[in-house]
Amino acid sequence: MVKVTCKLSGLEKSFGRNHVLRGIDLELRSGEVTALMGANGAGKSTLVKVLCGYHFADAGKMELAGKPYSPTDAADAISKGVVTVHQSIDDGVIPDLDVATNLTLDRLTEPGVGLFVNDRKLRRQAREVAESMGLTMDVRTRVADLDVADRQMIAIARAMARAPKLLILDEPTSSLSASEADRLFALIDRLRAEGVAILYISHRMSDIRRVADRIVSMRDGAISGVFESDPLDYVGAVNAMLGHQMTEVDIDPVSGGKPVLEARDLRLFEDSPPITFTAREGEVIAFTGLLGSGTTELAEVIFGLAEASAGELMLDGKPYRPASASDAVTKGVFMSPKDRSVNAVVADFDIANNMTLPFLKAFSRFSFLSERAQREATSEMISRIGVKCQSERDGIGTLSGGNQQKVMIGRWLLKASRVLLLDEPFQGVDIGARRDIGHYIRQTAAGRTTLVFVAEIDEALEIADRIIVLNEAAIAGEYVNRNVDLNSLVADVSGPGRSRTPTPPGGVPTAQAQSTLQNQASAG
Amino acid sequence: MKSDNMNKSALDLAIRYGFIVLLCGLALFFSLYASGFASPRSAVFIFQSVAITGILALGVTCTLVVGGFDLSIGSVATSALMLSAYSMVILEQSALVAVLLCLAMGALVGLINGILIVKMRVPDLLATLGMMFLLIGLQRIPTQGNSIATGMSLPDGSVAEGTFSAAFLWLGRHRFDLFLDRLLPVPVVLFLLIALIIWLFLGYTRHGRLMYAIGSNERAAGLVGTNVQRYKIVAYMISGMLASVGGILLAARLGRGDIASGNNLLLDSVAAALIGFAVLGAARPNAFGTAAGALFVGILLQGLTMMNAPYYMQDFVKGVVLVAALVFTFYLSSRRGGRKTA
Amino acid sequence: MLRREFMKLAVAAGLGLSASGAALAADMPAPFDKPEDVKIALVRYLSTGDFFQSYLSGVEKQAEALGVDLRVLDSRQDAALQADMVDQAIALGVDGIIIQHGLTESMKAAAQRAVDAGIKVVAFDVDVENDAVPQVEQSDYLLGKMALEQAIKDNGDSFTAGYVYVPGIAPLDRRDVAWKEVKEANPGITEAAMFGTLDNPIANSVANQARSILQANPNISVVFAPYDEFAKGVKIAVDEAGLSQDIDIYSADVSTADISAMREPDSAWAATVATNPAVVGEVSVRTLALMLAGEDPDAQVVVPPTLITQEFLNENDVKNMDDLGEKMPQFRHADVSVAEWIPLPKR
Repeated sequence: MVKVTCKLSGLEKSFGRNHVLRGIDLELRSGEVTALMGANGAGKSTLVKVLCGYHFADAGKMELAGKPYSPTDAADAISKGVVTVHQSIDDGVIPDLDVATNLTLDRLTEPGVGLFVNDRKLRRQAREVAESMGLTMDVRTRVADLDVADRQMIAIARAMARAPKLLILDEPTSSLSASEADRLFALIDRLRAEGVAILYISHRMSDIRRVADRIVSMRDGAISGVFESDPLDYVGAVNAMLGHQMTEVDIDPVSGGKPVLEARDLRLFEDSPPITFTAREGEVIAFTGLLGSGTTELAEVIFGLAEASAGELMLDGKPYRPASASDAVTKGVFMSPKDRSVNAVVADFDIANNMTLPFLKAFSRFSFLSERAQREATSEMISRIGVKCQSERDGIGTLSGGNQQKVMIGRWLLKASRVLLLDEPFQGVDIGARRDIGHYIRQTAAGRTTLVFVAEIDEALEIADRIIVLNEAAIAGEYVNRNVDLNSLVADVSGPGRSRTPTPPGGVPTAQAQSTLQNQASAG
Repeated sequence: MKSDNMNKSALDLAIRYGFIVLLCGLALFFSLYASGFASPRSAVFIFQSVAITGILALGVTCTLVVGGFDLSIGSVATSALMLSAYSMVILEQSALVAVLLCLAMGALVGLINGILIVKMRVPDLLATLGMMFLLIGLQRIPTQGNSIATGMSLPDGSVAEGTFSAAFLWLGRHRFDLFLDRLLPVPVVLFLLIALIIWLFLGYTRHGRLMYAIGSNERAAGLVGTNVQRYKIVAYMISGMLASVGGILLAARLGRGDIASGNNLLLDSVAAALIGFAVLGAARPNAFGTAAGALFVGILLQGLTMMNAPYYMQDFVKGVVLVAALVFTFYLSSRRGGRKTA
Repeated sequence: MLRREFMKLAVAAGLGLSASGAALAADMPAPFDKPEDVKIALVRYLSTGDFFQSYLSGVEKQAEALGVDLRVLDSRQDAALQADMVDQAIALGVDGIIIQHGLTESMKAAAQRAVDAGIKVVAFDVDVENDAVPQVEQSDYLLGKMALEQAIKDNGDSFTAGYVYVPGIAPLDRRDVAWKEVKEANPGITEAAMFGTLDNPIANSVANQARSILQANPNISVVFAPYDEFAKGVKIAVDEAGLSQDIDIYSADVSTADISAMREPDSAWAATVATNPAVVGEVSVRTLALMLAGEDPDAQVVVPPTLITQEFLNENDVKNMDDLGEKMPQFRHADVSVAEWIPLPKR
């Protein structure tokens, strides 16, 4: 009964000295969802890119439906029935065109279509596709005007429209709300029933629990485990991916010394309630909340990127009102922003220059840079926070996401700060790197106050002495990180006046908290 | 596996040194086939012929580094040419005043360009294009479209009595002794000096490094506390000032105020800067590459002229070199790297 | 009021040229008895540069002397726009049009439309292939010919020459005809190198080329550069190579800047042949005026050029174009398309 749709054997791929895929053997079966797990840098994305014709394998064979398969480019892969929905949404949609054109775009590139575009016919086809996906927006809307989740749905809908043999979903739910995710899962169920082979790549255990028929774990460019017995061995899969048992991080919360940063009746928006808190020397505070709860805005106000509409900030007892990021940095307030590829990474630079970028003045005499000083400082930081690289002169682009993030955070640890702001420091980072970063931040926390802004409660629990929950730009709750009542915390995150989250039936609280966050993100 | 590695390193070498080798090869070829090419004077000629476009190209390089572009350099240069002539011939000012006026004008134009781009959010190409047209027109207004030369009749019926002072002409015409008498012209010395300064500035100072950071990821640079706006404005001011240095040298060489759009100056210097991307496989704007690129074009043109190639061959050859350089930069260099994505 | 002004002008013009006698508006043929009602248009293709600036000033001065209403339409090297501008002039209801440069292909039909509308048309330096349209020309052929004759007079009929030329530019092509003829007639003249470019600033680009050429061909003793921008470039190169004693430059066209370059000590620029562009402008307007008054000028109106040598400039201490006009009357005024009743511009 089980038909092998796609068979990979001995797949190898290197980039320069970087051996990324080391002999991958894998079977993807018709009517089955294979979840692919792997830490950042394990080679998942490269494997996907080989499959969808974006990279060529250096060695090894691929078969699709019994025939040799070696796509010449992405279009060839699609025409042969391998369709991919990529992680970064804007790869999947054309923002300046309307929904209808986006949904039918691939048909325009097929050979034999006429010269002129029949808009009405196009819209009809698009509406069919949209309806089959349960999308309700007007197909004439410009995609750029849609929100992130809708854009992601469009990208997936485009892939569905091709009636694929093998559908590859690369972190498809990372920007979807729970209800949209449910719609996606329903679709996956249907496609599975139709006999499509599905490769599902995710970090998210709740997704994998929901859809996976089998789990394949990757580690260091090789398959480290295949799990298909019923019930699936999730812990084993995570183990195979990380190479060691996940352990709870033991935090011994410190209460901190003298106040460093104080917020007094700070209003983030015109009509939002005042926020008051005191961040003390040596403590790590996690601010957590839903998307739009004000965490990012709070970070921006403290770093001088935005202005609070009322209230004041005190730094070491003196009024603090940064005019700009550079003003904040001179006053000893540092921030590692979220979305590192957009906000932090200088792609043209090597590790050393990326790391030392904020403090070039300290590495130069009479404005002339001392490359040696830059490299010494960088290589020391590399070994302290465990960046995996050949040398500090490697281009930043040769590093995996997690290692890039370590560099981005390491840059702010080069010099002592009064306040260190970390906005989503664990974004797109595997658990191993997350532990390393968290460990190092706690280790160096003395002498400053550290504010971490995270959406995921797990991450807050792993790093903070104190957790402050924001809801609609107000403080909804505060917890010292010792035996935290997760249900109460989740309730605070959801906010008053909303239905309390029921205790999960036998589920793991943290996973439940996560999916609740997702839920609320879409509701808010 | 091994041969693959060798191919890779061969490709690496080709990208890194290909252009330099080509440059030497060309020089050798012309030495053999164009009589009179291989001589110190001929070498100096080449430098002199690229000195002015080279200086402009170094300015454009600074704007390219911050991810911008300056289309106005050609017209800034010709405006400086007119301004220096105007201040000496009609206003009868000294050489120093003329030079200072031109530099101030260049800096001002750069400042306005920068403010248009940074504060008013006009896209760089459009802002500098507008400035280009503005200057082409503006430089003609004071003399109603006439070139400026000593003895010209002024609109009020009098005759312009001022002259290009000897000190000013010295800038364009004096030659320093080096091994041979009167070998090195001032513009060449200035060009080499400016190239050295810009090379040090962009490559080895923190300001240069931050400018590269801005060019690669403006947001990231801003979020580490760089004053992005100020650096961008400074880049345009450097560009404007270097363009007016070019114009001053041009005026000193021509000895009069010639009206010209400067479009050829613009195109040649942009070509030099783009060719510079390919030198040493840098794949990004850099001062050394720009100077080498300008030199490369100079050697080609000098050699071709000496071999009596017609003028249209020169544009053709410039185009071929530019396209080849861009292929080097954007195709080969991207194949070399192979970004690992995870 | 206007008439009084005009009378004064006309009187002044008349006094300036006693030979032509006093011309009074009252004696003028229609429609110039009421000159303020006469509207003429100058439709230009080329406008940037000293030559064109000077041409325009000639047109303006002669129009002012006549008292007519002049409109200047400038297409800035846009052939299609220039044709549209002719139509625009027709719509404006002008009596006469001067077409200054342009392309035969685009202007032929436009000129015909103007002629059909009953408008008198004069063309300068563009052949609109229309019998009703007289052509005003500065003789480019003669410019080249006279410069070369001077070169032979100075250097004998056997020398090695460098030649600056860019094919495809009409006036340069006509000057090239003279060069080919002279070369043919004098086998002693050898052309060692031909070069040239129109990259602007032209003088600077030509200087770069000329230096390479002089380096490669040290035996060149004469450079024929039949366009003053070329000559300036060659002169810069000659000076930079320290060869100003050994090389003579012969060119065409003249400007104030050219005069000072020719008069520099030891200048290599020996002679130039030029038509005063302002005079050509005046002639263009006068030719149009004759047609408007019902007279019939020749199909070709040629403005003869003048030879200007370095020697002459030095002897007469000529500093600028005005001096040149004063010292060389044939340069200031051409006895072409004149009539008793046409007032000449005030000098």
